[in-house]
Amino acid sequence: MKTRIKELRARYNLTQQDLADKVGVSRMTIVFLEKGTYNPSLKLACRTARALNTTIEDLFSCDEDDED
Amino acid sequence: MIAKPEWFEQRKYSGWGVTPRSWQGWAYTLAVLVLLVIFLSIPDLDSQVRTAGTVLWVAFVVLDILPVMVAAKKDEREYKNEAIAERNASWFMVMVLVIGILYELIISGLSHELSINWFMVLALFGGAIVKGVSNYRMDQKGC
Repeated sequence: MKTRIKELRARYNLTQQDLADKVGVSRMTIVFLEKGTYNPSLKLACRTARALNTTIEDLFSCDEDDED
Repeated sequence: MIAKPEWFEQRKYSGWGVTPRSWQGWAYTLAVLVLLVIFLSIPDLDSQVRTAGTVLWVAFVVLDILPVMVAAKKDEREYKNEAIAERNASWFMVMVLVIGILYELIISGLSHELSINWFMVLALFGGAIVKGVSNYRMDQKGC
């Protein structure tokens, strides 16, 4: 899964820890979200999008060959 | 309660329990050990008093740390990973318990004195009951 978390985080001058605190998760979870190696729940995806003033669709994009 | 959740973090790579993550956590751990050592070093201390004191101290520390473990904050990724790790650990323990019970049955059967370790049987069936109840409650909640 591709994400724009890192790009939007930089736009708002947020560290990974800042974003983690806003979303209510650990910094490591933000790290794995940015890498695209962790698939968040819908609830977490919503909270992350809201914290970065964007939408889920804008923040996350699925690859056609995404596997669980 | 003396120990605070923010002083500790849950162990992930070395068994169960907590490990200090701030200077307060390390100070607490050191104080627990030093006080126990001082108590055990008292000369001419009656052995029963020594045993009782040690048991009470350990019980106090366990009761103090348990709320810390319960209150440890985890996000959804950490809960999921913890669940997978605990599942893997329980499968291993179930396997060892089954092998242990069968081994005892075979060995005792060969000597014509069938004996069962009821603690191991209780652990196995108790675990099965806990698993069933957990799944039932999650189904009821719609998880």
